[in-house]
Amino acid sequence: MTTEGQISQPLSAGRMLAITAGALIAASAIVFGAILPAEFNIDPLRLGQLTGLNRLWAPREVPFDITKSEVPLAREYPSGFRSDTIEIPLNPDGSRQGGDQLEYKVRMRKDATLIYEWSVADIPHSTEFYFDFHGHTLSDGKEMTVATYKKDTGTGANGALTAPFDGVHGWYFQNQSLNNVIVRVKISGFYELIAPGEIGNEAHVIANVPADRAIAKK
Amino acid sequence: MIVLALLAIPDGFAFAHGIGGKDASFVAATKGPDILPFMYLGAKHMVTGYDHLLFILGVIFFLYRMRDVVIYVTLFSIGHSITLLSGVLLKLDINAYLIDAVIGLSVAYKAFDNLGGFQSVFGFQPNNRIAVAVFGLIHGFGLATKLQEFRLSPDGLVPNMIGFNIGVELGQMIALTVMLLIMLQWRRSANFERSAVAANALILAAGFVLTEYQLAGYFVGAKA
Repeated sequence: MTTEGQISQPLSAGRMLAITAGALIAASAIVFGAILPAEFNIDPLRLGQLTGLNRLWAPREVPFDITKSEVPLAREYPSGFRSDTIEIPLNPDGSRQGGDQLEYKVRMRKDATLIYEWSVADIPHSTEFYFDFHGHTLSDGKEMTVATYKKDTGTGANGALTAPFDGVHGWYFQNQSLNNVIVRVKISGFYELIAPGEIGNEAHVIANVPADRAIAKK
Repeated sequence: MIVLALLAIPDGFAFAHGIGGKDASFVAATKGPDILPFMYLGAKHMVTGYDHLLFILGVIFFLYRMRDVVIYVTLFSIGHSITLLSGVLLKLDINAYLIDAVIGLSVAYKAFDNLGGFQSVFGFQPNNRIAVAVFGLIHGFGLATKLQEFRLSPDGLVPNMIGFNIGVELGQMIALTVMLLIMLQWRRSANFERSAVAANALILAAGFVLTEYQLAGYFVGAKA
């Protein structure tokens, strides 16, 4: 018997159950293997890691208003003052092997201060070098707070930062010129360096060594 | 193929597709009646809404007479118009993930029914016209949640909402025309019934994907 809007020969119960089970298995494979890792950072089968799909996921960014602060102008810290010089080599824009951009951050507690000076030589025109000075909390798996201090082009800056929250704070540098360049960052204050490969130093930068040894082998 | 196509859909058409960026800011800024833009939004929502499209495809898949197509699509439209309008007017607060999960199930239901699954597996056949009307009501709640996602100004709410509804019907007609043209060609091919089984199996799987995805969104609730 055919019902309105159906196939003329209804499938047998066995075939129907097989198709439904197959559809459920295929759907679950897609959901658990691809959608959950890419959209929700859930990776029960580790397939997201294997395929790299989990890199599509990013925590939701919550912008932080950096214009408000109630930190006293004079303050003390228990310990931890340090100074570091970081030399960062960057390849020319569009290099086939990449390396024309990276991010370098340090770990800071809320209200800790550092002073900095960075500059880059061999940039023909100051608009050919881009930086994004920012900080963010470590993601809780859902969202993270992001503070943008300055985004601009230019070949250097000097200043101070008081961290608005516990997290990682630093620079994204992008070489848009056709030269090999070295960025020299000098920082002093109350912060910790981040070990190569950890969040904030994914580019594996080593501090206090000459530029030719500053990128650790991954 | 359908499943792959679903996965290939770019960002702007994200699952449980809402009304995105610039459209949302337009709606938020609108005060007073502004029917034509709302019609456009309704049509766009329908034409880019594969959950609704997959269901309609399932409904018309084996409808060979134009008269039946009109009857079923009208039932679906009446159903979703009732809940779209009343949902917005009564400010019904329905969880968008859950309603979209049920919409995914409606897609799976129709594909299962298309292959005669209810008769062969359960030994009974639900009334197809009633089923389509009931699922129409559910799709309408989905439409209502999308329209409610942006704060609609009470000023001009009724005309704008009706404009959105008319747009939905226009978009549905456009999509339906394209589907019918493709189906007419497809049915002429020699192995239509065989490929029809495969196609409905894929629609079934796509319905399950939509359902599981929305349930994940409901329980994790961290969609970007």
